[in-house]
Amino acid sequence: MKKVLTVARAEYLIAVTSKAFLLGVAMMPLFGGGAVLVQHLTKDQVDLTPRKIAIVDQTGKLFDVIKDQAEVHNQVEIFAGDGDQRRQTQAEFIVESVESAGLGKSQESPQPDRIDSLLSKRVEQGELFAFAIIDEGVFTPGADAAVRYHSQTPSYMSLSNWLRQVINAEIQRVRSEQLGLSPESVVALSMPTPIRHFGLVQHAEDGTIGEAREENRIITFAVPFGGLMLMFMMVMSVAPTMLNNVLEEKMQKISEFLVSSISPFQLMLGKLLGAVGVGLTLSTIYLGAAFGLTHYFEIAESVPLSLYAWFVFFLLMALVIFGSIFSAIGAACSEIRDAQSLMTPIMLLIVIPMMCIGPVLDSPSSVFSRLISLFPPATPMLMFARIAIPPGPAIWEVVLASVLVILFALASVWAAGKIFRVGILSQGQAPSLAKLVGWVFAK
Amino acid sequence: MSCRFVPVRDSLIYPELLVLNVVSLSNVAKSYGKHLAVADLSLSVPAASLYGFIGPNGSGKTTTIRMIMRIIHPDRGEIEVLGNRSAAAANDDVGYLPEERGLYKKFSVRRMLTYYATLKGMTRRDASDAITHWLDRFELTHWTSKKVETLSKGMTQKVQFIASIIARPKLLILDEPFSGLDPVNTEAIRETILELQNQGTTIIFSTHDMSVAEKMCDFIFMIYKGEKVLDGTLDEVQARYGQDTIKLRWDGSTEDLKATAGINRVINMGAYQELQYSGDPQVLLQSLVARESVQHFEISHPSLHDIFIRIAGPKLNADDRAPQAADIATATGVAS
Repeated sequence: MKKVLTVARAEYLIAVTSKAFLLGVAMMPLFGGGAVLVQHLTKDQVDLTPRKIAIVDQTGKLFDVIKDQAEVHNQVEIFAGDGDQRRQTQAEFIVESVESAGLGKSQESPQPDRIDSLLSKRVEQGELFAFAIIDEGVFTPGADAAVRYHSQTPSYMSLSNWLRQVINAEIQRVRSEQLGLSPESVVALSMPTPIRHFGLVQHAEDGTIGEAREENRIITFAVPFGGLMLMFMMVMSVAPTMLNNVLEEKMQKISEFLVSSISPFQLMLGKLLGAVGVGLTLSTIYLGAAFGLTHYFEIAESVPLSLYAWFVFFLLMALVIFGSIFSAIGAACSEIRDAQSLMTPIMLLIVIPMMCIGPVLDSPSSVFSRLISLFPPATPMLMFARIAIPPGPAIWEVVLASVLVILFALASVWAAGKIFRVGILSQGQAPSLAKLVGWVFAK
Repeated sequence: MSCRFVPVRDSLIYPELLVLNVVSLSNVAKSYGKHLAVADLSLSVPAASLYGFIGPNGSGKTTTIRMIMRIIHPDRGEIEVLGNRSAAAANDDVGYLPEERGLYKKFSVRRMLTYYATLKGMTRRDASDAITHWLDRFELTHWTSKKVETLSKGMTQKVQFIASIIARPKLLILDEPFSGLDPVNTEAIRETILELQNQGTTIIFSTHDMSVAEKMCDFIFMIYKGEKVLDGTLDEVQARYGQDTIKLRWDGSTEDLKATAGINRVINMGAYQELQYSGDPQVLLQSLVARESVQHFEISHPSLHDIFIRIAGPKLNADDRAPQAADIATATGVAS
């Protein structure tokens, strides 16, 4: 065991004193902070070029309203701040009325003077940004009528959203008038009722009934998703590094020297412990930061301490499983290219939880969520995610998942040790997956 | 298993080992797929001896060494190292310099040696003292804190050699320890090997340099196509081949010798030529003197180099062989 710890210590110190580790520590806050910073710096970088739109109003009742609302938009809505701070943050909308005469009803009949055709040419030439054709029957409920918005820049949604809002507000007003409803009644009718999300009412042992705690929907989503992402990042930063280290030692002919002093299994175990230590160190830094932030923002009660413990446990299992598998691949191969081809199926195992997170978050107690979270390679990430979503899975599920993942981790270490023993001194072409399985069960 | 003894050295630090065969192999075999690397090999290495492993490339030397080191396991047979038959773990009392060497390029020399020493079970303090001693001995003190990647090839090999002896092993196994070294570094390592042997360390080393094996080794072991073909002291090995070798220096040409009846093989050693001759040496001498001036004519055992080539070199077939001694006698009119 002393030799295992010697290797683990060396591997750990090499890793945590490397530039790559410091970069890894800084990566997440850099990415997070960088995204916020970029958004802050680019929030004023809005294209303020006026957007000119031609309106073909076949009802004859909407253009004036649209024009009035455009005035309001251009004089009020596009500005932010007051006094000296007042500045334009959105583009002006300029509306132009176009007569509907000549608008083709049939798409098939050739009509060179069709209005939509002419307007499309004007958009292409840059005279217009877009044009909209308002069908005649839009005021009639249930009529097969719409507003057709044409643009060659469909990703710019501000104009179409504004137009939809203005037209629908006017249509709603007209319909209300037709029904004899006052504007106040319309406001009252359309006033939405919020749904607040609570947990279950708590029953104390002495029979008293406590209040249900209101849930923060953002945290309810962010904790399991953030934890899963953090675990994924830890695995992806530690396991492939193990592969590279083992492969590098093999390529530099260091391995034979090492295994004359320590058995291959001890060597692999030492490397694994070192790598797990690196992963836990990295995650401790992040978890510490998360703990501090939850207290700072007074949402600590949404992230109980037991959840941190579960995270560390499942992260440990994930690192042991994938670390041992990746080190075995490194030992079995003699070139990085060979290792990459063997890595592909293992990478799929790591990515499975990422692909399943949507259904699991949406329905954590479904049969699918239960089964996939009991599949050992996916258990660390998905069972953690399920535990993080209140009220969490049943105790027996957590216990079963823990037992299964521990057994799978031990089996992974055992199998990887067998492959490592044979592979570390082998040279030449990389073995096939079938041959690796053969090595596992070889005497 | 029988035990052979080597001469008692000046100052043995492992006297308890003298009664042992430090390494014993009994009917050991190892195959890689269908290729038989080592076949039914038995071998005993006495304590405090210097045992030379020779053999052509791919003959099974490194496989044998790796099995002794427990790096690979034999398919059958038994291996005992320092009285231990367990194949489970590497032995801290065994030092090893593999044929294919590598060091952590980004480590400093001291850090790397400390790592290897602690893997061999040394405390960090003992390791530090030993590292200081050996770096000084090999004139590498100024390179202690330098990264391995900055060392020259010769320095790197010396550092690798230090790593293999840092823990004062009872058994030291060196796979091609002199390959690629200049004469100065070769001499430094050779002296250290002999010093360690003098102190009682048993040393096994493989080499392709027959002159080194002849000069240094107490015992010679040769493996060819996985089978043991030689095992014994140099005298024993040479005695098996009789006195059919003549060391000759003369004014004639090598081609002339090859055409001479009875001479089966001519090896040009530079300063002299070594002949394998079947027949009466006196007859040959008269034949040569009759043709050219002869400065040196010595009847001796074959050199290890010659023995190696006789075993592993291209075999002479009947058509290629030179005329036999009887033919010479007829041609020169000298009775054999």
